[in-house]
Order: sequence, then structure tokens, then C-alpha cells
Amino acid sequence: MTPRSGLRRVSKIAVLILLVAGWFRSAAAASSPWEQPAAALAEQIAAILGPGQAHLIIRNNSQISTDEIPAIRAFLEQDLKARSIQASGAESANIIRVTLSENFRERLWVAEIVEGNETRLAMIRLQAGAEQPQAMIGGLTLRNQSIFTTIQPVLAALEIGNDLVLVESEEIVIYAHSTDGWKQQTLVGIGQRKPLPRDPGPLFYLPRAGQGSGAGVAGMSCQGATQPTKDWSIHCRESDDPWLLTPPQSTQRGASADMNIQLTPLRAFYNSARDYFTGVVTPSIGADLPPFYTAVLLPRSDGGGLLLNGIDGKVMFAEGGALKPVTGARDWVSDFATLDSGCGPGIQIVASGSGEAIADSLRAYDLPALEAIPASAPLTMDGTVTALWTAPDNKSIFVVVRKTAAPAHAETYEVDRVTASCN
Amino acid sequence: MLRQVAISCLIAALALPALARTRPHYGGTLRVEVEGDPWQRPGGLARSLVLDGLTTMSPEGTAQPALAVEWKSENDDHRWQFRLRPGVHFHDGTSLNSSGVVASLTAVCGAACPWTAMHAVGSSVVFTSDSPIANLPELLAGDDYRIALAGAGNPETAPIGTGPFQFKGFSNGVITLAANDNCWQGRPFLDAVEMRIHRPIRDQWLDLSVGRADLVEVPAEQMRQAHDQRLTVVASPPALLLALAVSDTGALANPNLRAAIALSVDRSALSNVIFQKQGEITASLLPAEVTGYAFLFPTDRDLGKAHELRGGAAPPLLTLAVEGGAAMQLAAQRIALNLRDAGFNIQVAAAATPQHIDLTLRRFQLESNQPQPALESILRAAGLAVPVPQSTPEELYKIERQVLDTHMLIPLLYLPRAYGVGGRVRDLRLSLDGTPQLANVSLSDAQPEVTP
Repeated sequence: MTPRSGLRRVSKIAVLILLVAGWFRSAAAASSPWEQPAAALAEQIAAILGPGQAHLIIRNNSQISTDEIPAIRAFLEQDLKARSIQASGAESANIIRVTLSENFRERLWVAEIVEGNETRLAMIRLQAGAEQPQAMIGGLTLRNQSIFTTIQPVLAALEIGNDLVLVESEEIVIYAHSTDGWKQQTLVGIGQRKPLPRDPGPLFYLPRAGQGSGAGVAGMSCQGATQPTKDWSIHCRESDDPWLLTPPQSTQRGASADMNIQLTPLRAFYNSARDYFTGVVTPSIGADLPPFYTAVLLPRSDGGGLLLNGIDGKVMFAEGGALKPVTGARDWVSDFATLDSGCGPGIQIVASGSGEAIADSLRAYDLPALEAIPASAPLTMDGTVTALWTAPDNKSIFVVVRKTAAPAHAETYEVDRVTASCN
Repeated sequence: MLRQVAISCLIAALALPALARTRPHYGGTLRVEVEGDPWQRPGGLARSLVLDGLTTMSPEGTAQPALAVEWKSENDDHRWQFRLRPGVHFHDGTSLNSSGVVASLTAVCGAACPWTAMHAVGSSVVFTSDSPIANLPELLAGDDYRIALAGAGNPETAPIGTGPFQFKGFSNGVITLAANDNCWQGRPFLDAVEMRIHRPIRDQWLDLSVGRADLVEVPAEQMRQAHDQRLTVVASPPALLLALAVSDTGALANPNLRAAIALSVDRSALSNVIFQKQGEITASLLPAEVTGYAFLFPTDRDLGKAHELRGGAAPPLLTLAVEGGAAMQLAAQRIALNLRDAGFNIQVAAAATPQHIDLTLRRFQLESNQPQPALESILRAAGLAVPVPQSTPEELYKIERQVLDTHMLIPLLYLPRAYGVGGRVRDLRLSLDGTPQLANVSLSDAQPEVTP
């Protein structure tokens, strides 16, 4: 190899390295959340300062990681340079002091442009935390899809065939799906006389489709058509009868694919004044149940049982005439539902969590050996989860989320369908 | 700053026995003790339990429906129409209607209301104003504008409202509030709240420690002491602004003297010594958590410049008045020392003193975490009625800068509101202004009532 050809080769490699480095930088820039705000701030700075030199100081008053600051500086310097402002040393007469700040709603980047005794300001707003990627945890990923929004408080919702059944505080409304979206088909007043309790979450039930549909609201019981048809017929009456916890003659897939469990319809007495089931169920399942808020049937490899959330906050599993504690359910609020995802053991529990937060979340759990183990990352619901219910096919969950919608100022209720995909 | 909020929230979370995450139990009586008058405006705890507003503030800091279900503005925010929630009743059974709302709000602010006129139109209340009120929904969420049944009850000590609790009686220094079974928001979990009033802080803490009280007050300056005594403390983010209101008449008509006063105060000493590092030093009217630009207002003391601005001649004797209790008195004494260091001749007097007041040390409630309504309510409370339109952060900064450059209001510290909480209290949250939201509180030992 001659020196000249060697040089050419080195040059080619250098060019290649530069191209690759440039490509990486472009790729990084394209995916960086800081590129656009840096450009916007640089533009405002340039409009104030004009071409020249300035000493750039960056101060971080936000929760942006210090690791990110060099990248932000690089973007700012590059964008200022593109606008004929050269970042210089401390000796410069002009100073650009950029503070990466934030308030509880958003990030705020403030540039103080100091020219002699005069200081002028430029500010830009950024959405807070938008750059955080969602972690993939466990064997499945939960996804939600909004299917209906209303300003009326929704206590429960269920999609049955082409119909959407909404239980509201004073009425049951059936919507039919059409090419134009949901169209109201039937509205039946419940005849509710008592005011709803503050926490109306458990005051409803909607047995799975195919076996009749019903709803209970504070001392009222409503029964719908045995099979969903175009002509819904719903009748409501005052009732303190025990509520149906499990549908009659329902068949659920067990943890083993070939195992089916025949379930006897189970009813539970409900304290409508104080929002909980008393613990008395009929027929008896052999174990003395404590008062509880929520109960779901959970098939297991060795049979099945009733998973319930006691009013003392303890999650218990009743099977074989015994009541056993479930561990790892400390983060659960009182609502949960089963989801037949087909991932991992097959059936998961999806529980709403974090009543402390502004936005609730849903998370799937596996329950081997009576220990709740997270099977998914939390799915943030952008509001308060007020109810969740397993869909008739067990493959999805219907969730009611209370949201405050801006700019309409109105509180809205969104019905979401939550599904799972295996990781 | 946000880290501090996060820590506050963490304290709150740790403080709550919320580990048993379950639906709350109904029943029981919560025993609360307060040092002041729970009916006072703004921020009186009893007011917040008995009376509702047309709107309320969401945790995100936006106005959300309360007694009004929806609203719209017209004519560039000169006209607002609020539609009332149907089916709401006052505690005595009277239906809430638009004329009742007009009567209540007229009784509250009369000619000093932010709007020019107000009319009942069907099931709506219409507000009109000569100047636009961009933040009216947020303003109406303020404590001053809660709705009481006009002409019934005693509006100052036993108002009739639509809130989750209703006044039942007052005896032996204890106000009894009972659950409103027909509350439009749903019955509260508690059966009753007993509120012992005018109880000294020391006695409150003693009662909490021996189980005679469930919720007691913890002044910011005693939060450290409360932690030392192992009280479970729930604290709000910054909720009270401590500021000097400066007269622009008399000796302080000279703006340079007012500027010199602003530069003389040692905020760090106030925070460290008097308020035990529980305050957030500020030279801005709004906390950093709300605006993000508070750092643009320097908080440093500059005695040299203060001397320079004051000039050679010493002004005549200035009077500094104080609103509030012992800690505020101590703070005022400290400020007087600072001002003497800068060459001012100053005496501290009680707020009720008849003589001319040059400076007043005051507390202002942060009523919103949206910057526009928050700033507007502080300015209104300070008697500086400057309209604050919906604006960008730059525009808001300019308005605040303009006000502060007059040096008629000198922000010093932001303080949290805090409470000591007993072990059986569950799900206690504080609203944005630091008021406990007792309607959602339940007691862990409440005995579920048997269904008849």
C-alpha cells in the first residue's frame, strides 16, 4: 500500500466515521425531547440579542437529570450559532443565563439576556415529563382505548355485542353502535330514591352477557333482557335481595387450558347504606367470609375460588371451605377484575392502584401460590378509576375513569376498554 | 422547589395510615381542635365543610364544577353564565336556585364584588363586568364566594349551606357538625365532626397524644417540634404568603424608602430562626411551584444599597403593625431589627392600634395553584385591585414585576399549613389552600352500621 493510497483509505475511514457520527447525532437529535424547545428558546434569544457573542450560562432548577444538561447546552449553542450568536467565554459583555425551571404543571425555560445594565427575558413552556418512556415490566402490556365519554356520572359500563350499557346514578342507558358512533337506543329510569353514597364504586353489578343483565344501585335492582336484542326490556324495582356475584351456569376457562369449571350462581347480601357486601353469601361456600367490597371468581389449576377484598383492606382467597390471605396486594385499592390475557398463567387480576395520586393506574397481577406478582407495568388512566368490570368474553376490562376536561371545565366520565398483549 | 413539594407529599403519604388500601368505612365522629375561629374568612375549616361554592379547584389547579355544572363566557369575558346543578338542596330542605345564589353572593361582597352586576336567569346565574374577568370560574372557587342560604341561620356562626356537613349545635366550646345525608356529592363517610374552638396549640397536641383529639393544628414554626414529639404531621405545599404591606402615604410616600425597606429585610433569618426552616423564602408573590419564575425576584438582603436608597436623613418614626399570633409578633420584631440596621427608626404595634400604620406584616392565603387567579386574589386581599388577564408566563411576570416595583407589597416567606393527625384517621387530604378535606375522611375504627 502506497502512502497516498493509505492516506486515501484513512480519509475514507474518517469520512465514514464522521458520517456515522453525524448519523448517530442526527438520530439522537431526532429522538431528543430537547431539540425543539432549545430551538424555540434560541429563536427568542436571537430576536432580543441579535447577532454577536454571548456567554451562555445554564442553571438547572428542574427535575431534568444533570446528565441531560450537556445535550441541552449543545442544542442551544448549535441553535444560537445558526442564528449568528456565538457562545463565548466569561469575558463577553453579553450574558445569556438560561434557567431550566418548572412549576407543578409544566417546565419553564427562562433566558435572561444581559446586555450591560439591561436584562431582558425570554420564556418557553414545555410539557413536563413527556420525555419519560414507559417501562415494559412483566409478561404483558396493558393498553386502553376510550370508547365513550359523557358528562353524566357513569357507575358501570359494559359492551354487549353491538350495544353499550351504561349504568348512571338515575338511569340505565343503552347505546347501539352505528357508523356514526354510539346512538342512544333505550333509557330506563332506575327510580332511585336515596342519594348515592360518596363512594358509589361497588353499587352496581352487571352479570356477564348471555345469562341476563342486571344492575343494582343503592337498594334498587334492575333486570334486563335475557339475551341482548335490539329491543331491550329493563325493569327496576326496590330490592334488598342479595346481589348476584357470579352468573348462573357460567363456564370459565381454568388455568389449565383443558380445565373448565362449572360455577354455581352465588349471591351476596349488600349493605346499600354503607357500600359493602356483608359477607353473607348464598349458597354458602363453606368458609365464613368477612364483609367485603369486591369479589371475583378466580379459576386455578387446583379448582377455583372467590378472591375478595375485605373492608379491612385485606385481600383473601376463599377456596375449599377455607379463607386464605393473599400477599403482595398492598397497593391495590378496593376494585379489581379478572382478565383472560392468555399470557403467562392465562388469567390475571387487574387492580386499580394508588388512590394517593391524581391519576389512578391499573396493573395486572399473576397470583401463583396466593402471592400477587406484578405482570405488567402500571397503566396510567389520566383520571380517577371509579369502576372496573370484566367484559363478557373475559378478554378485556371496562373501566370508568372520571376526568376533568379542559377547556370545557366540565367533569367527564370516560369508558375505556383495557386489553392486554403478551410481551 | 418541586422536590420540596414531593417531600411534603411524602410526609403526607407517610403520615396517613393509608397502607390498608380499602374503601373507607362509614360512621364515627371526628374530633378536631382549632386555635382560631373556624367560621372566619378565608380558610375557616367549618365554612369549607358546611358551604359549597359554584366551582371548586381541582388538584390540577383548574376550576371544576361544584354547585354550577357548566359555565361559558361571552363578550371577551365581560359576561359569564353559570348553570346551576339541578336537584341540590340546602340543609333545611330549601332548593338551590339562581336567585338564592345571587342573594348569597350579594351578601358576601355587595358593591366590592369583582363583577359589576349579577342576575338570576332561569337556572343560571349571569355575571357581567365592565372589565373582562378571565378567571371568574377560578375566583368563584375561593372561600369568600361560598353559597349560604340568605336570610336564614346566622351567616357568621351557623350558616345553612349545601355542603357535606350541617351545623347542629354549639356548646362548651365545641361546634357539632352532622353528616348531610342528602349531600349532592354523596354522604360523607363520617357521621359527625366535633370541632373544639379557641384551643391553644399546646393543649391541642396534648389532646392528640392522649387520644382526645383526631386532628389538631401544627403552625409552620412548630412543625419541627411536632416531629420531635413524634406527631404524625400532614403538611401542605406553600399555602400562606407572609408579606409586608407598605403604605404609600406619610413617611413612606417616597418610593426609594419603600425600596430600601424591601432590601433591608433578612428573609433567611426569618425563615431559619422564627419559622424553623419550614418556610420558603420568596421575593415573588407567587411560589415557584405555581409559576416557575420566582427565582427572577432576588431574595438577598442588600444593606449597602438600602442605605444608599434611604439617603442621609433618617425618616421619622415608622410604625409596623402585625396580624397574627406569637410567631408573627416575633417575625415583626425581627423585621424591625433589620430595618434599624438600615437606619430606619421603627416601632412595632398591634394591628388594631389607632395611629397611622406604615407597614403591616400580613398573611395571605394562596387560593389557587393557577397563577392568574392566585395572583389576583392576593392583590385583591392586599387592596391592590390589579386585573390579571389570562396571560403567558412573560406577561404574568411583567404584571407581578410592575406590582412589586411599587414596593407596596414585599413578599417574605411562603409557609405550609400543617396538621397533626391521630392514628384512626384515614384518607386525609389537604386542599390547595391547605384546608383539610374532611368529607372524604373516614375512621379506621368506625363500626359499620347494620342495614335495617
